[in-house]
Parts: sequence; structure tokens; C-alpha cells
Amino acid sequence: MKKVLHLTLFLALVAAIAGGALALANSLTAPIVAANALAAEKENLALIFPNAGDDDFEEITVKDSETIEKIFQVKGEGTVFKMQVTGYKEGTSFMVALDDNAVADDSFRDSLIGKNAEADTLDIISGATVSSRPVVDGINEAGKYLLENVK
Amino acid sequence: MNRKENFTAGFIRENPVFGLYLGLCSTLAITTTLNNAIGMGVAVILVLVMSNVIISCLRKVTPSEIRIPVYIVVIATLVKIIQMLIKAYAPALDSALGVFIPLIVVNCIILGRAEAFASKNGIFDSALDGLGMGLGYTVSIIVMSAIRQLLATGILSFENPFHMDQVIFSLKLIPEDYVISMFSQPFGAFITFAFLAGALAAYKNHQNAKEAKKEAEAKKQAAQLAKEAK
Repeated sequence: MKKVLHLTLFLALVAAIAGGALALANSLTAPIVAANALAAEKENLALIFPNAGDDDFEEITVKDSETIEKIFQVKGEGTVFKMQVTGYKEGTSFMVALDDNAVADDSFRDSLIGKNAEADTLDIISGATVSSRPVVDGINEAGKYLLENVK
Repeated sequence: MNRKENFTAGFIRENPVFGLYLGLCSTLAITTTLNNAIGMGVAVILVLVMSNVIISCLRKVTPSEIRIPVYIVVIATLVKIIQMLIKAYAPALDSALGVFIPLIVVNCIILGRAEAFASKNGIFDSALDGLGMGLGYTVSIIVMSAIRQLLATGILSFENPFHMDQVIFSLKLIPEDYVISMFSQPFGAFITFAFLAGALAAYKNHQNAKEAKKEAEAKKQAAQLAKEAK
């Protein structure tokens, strides 16, 4: 019995010290990792809206949505949605950019509200139907979200 | 075994990759470019030295029944810390090596050295052993990746892992029409590995034969001396 207790306590102690070290390392590196991720994301955004400067992207909080991960509003240009959907593989991630001018256009508005974009009107995504359907749904959801919540 | 012998064991005599066939999963997978090999090698050296030191420190208090779980906890913690540092300061290297950084945890070289050496020897010797073995691993994967990158792309290059845009050197040695892109595939990894492992074995056999010959001659001489004395 004493032996069991000794072994248990020793392993628990080692694990606790390891956990402490990990927490320390994480607290030191997490902000840098987050900053790196943000910089990489801004690079992608700059590809979509090349006219916008680095400070023109503003992240806004997402209200109750499972698939919309992040929203960036680009001053005077449009809105970018970062979507996370489950297709053939877990965690397909893509960006939807909606131009301010296009959203103001009535026909585009109707195409979003009235009917859904069909999978076959899009270029094939990774050559598989299982992945492209959630992507189409994601694009539709981003459009609806923009009309309902942002504009 | 003296310290110097112990340190240099990892290069030829007990080379972990081509001699003992340890840590092959990452070796075969990441040796496509020189950059990957050097990044991976440095990460493994850091983990190996630190894990050897810590396990050597703990060797007198670790109950032998639970030594393996203790080693695994120590190694996994170190690997995770290294992974976080790479993610923070060399993100390009992180995306290039991907899952093979966390997989250092299950690299047999590290657990092997912990069990075979660090758990029985002092702190300084263990650190030296870790450095020697880590360098042996690093040199092995550097050689392998240099061959594969050169044959597959014709270019031998190295970029600063902290700023991927900063090219330290880039040599174009083989014209584009003569490259064998197969060597960047797993197939090429196995072929390169087989040739290098064969070369090391041949060298070791040659060395052993030489030593055996020397020994036989020495014996003969001793016998002759004994005869003359009679």
C-alpha cells in the first residue's frame, strides 16, 4: 500500500511540474503565435482587397454562428468572412469576401435571399462534392449574415 | 569507455539512424530539403540533451517501476515547449515540419538514450551523450536531405529559418533537364536511406576486418616471442 502511494505521488509530482513548465512556456509564446497568425491572415486579406492598407481591416465579433469564425470589415471596400465548415474532412477553412458595392445591388441581394447558390454554378472545389456543398452553404450564410447583422 | 569515445559513438560506430535504425519515421519523411533537416536536427539535439540531463538528475529518486512513464512525461514536456518556441519564432519551419515536431516525443533515439544511458550515468556524461547522439542524428539527416534535395531539384539551398525570405545560400548544381524528381518522393527516401545504411555497414565491416587482422598479427608475434623465450 505504501509502495502504491509512493509511486502515485511521485508520478503526480513529475506531471505537476511538467504542467507548470508547459503553462509558463505557453504564456510566453501564445501572444507571439497569435500575432503571427494575425499577420498571416492580414496578408490573405491584402490579397483580396489590395487597395486597403494594413490598418483598414477591423475585426468584429461574431454573433451566434457555428460556421463563421471571424469577420473582418474593410473600410470602404467590403467585408471578409473567415468560414470553418466540415466537409469531407474535418475543418475545411476558407474566406468569403463580399464587396460593399455588390451588396448594395438589389439583384445580388435577391439572389442571396430568394434562392441559394447551387453547387454546380461554382467551380469545383477540391474535385469533390462532399466538400463543395458545405462551402456553398457557407457562402450563403455569410451573405445572409451580412444582410441581417452588419448592414 | 572514456568520454571522447562515448561522445563520438553517435557518428559512426553507433550512428542512431544508419547504424541502429532508430528514429526512421521522421528521417524518411522530412529529409526532402536541407532546411527541414537542419531545423529538425536542432530540435532533436535540444530535446535529447535536456531530457538526458533531467533524467540523469532524477535517476536516483525515480522508482524503477514507473521509470518509463516518468521519461515519457519529461520528454513530452520538452518537445511541447520546443514546439511552442518554433511556432512562435520560426513559423515557416513549423508549417514545413508539421506533425513531425510533436512526433519527436516518440522518436526512439530519445527514449532509447534515456533508458540505456542517462538512467545509469552522471549528469555531465549524459549531456555529452545526448549531444553526441543528437549530432549523429543531425549529420545523418543532413547528408540524406542534401542528396535528396540535390537530385530532386538540382538546387542546394538554405534559408534563415527565422526569416524565410532571407536566403543564406543557394547553389544550382544540376541543370533542370537532368533532375530526378522521384527523390523528393517516399520512394527516393527509401533508396537514399538504403544506400547510406549500406555504405556505413560496409565501412564498419572494413574497419572490423582491419582490426581483426591486427589482432591476429599481434597474437602471432606474441606466440613467436614465447617460443623464442623457451
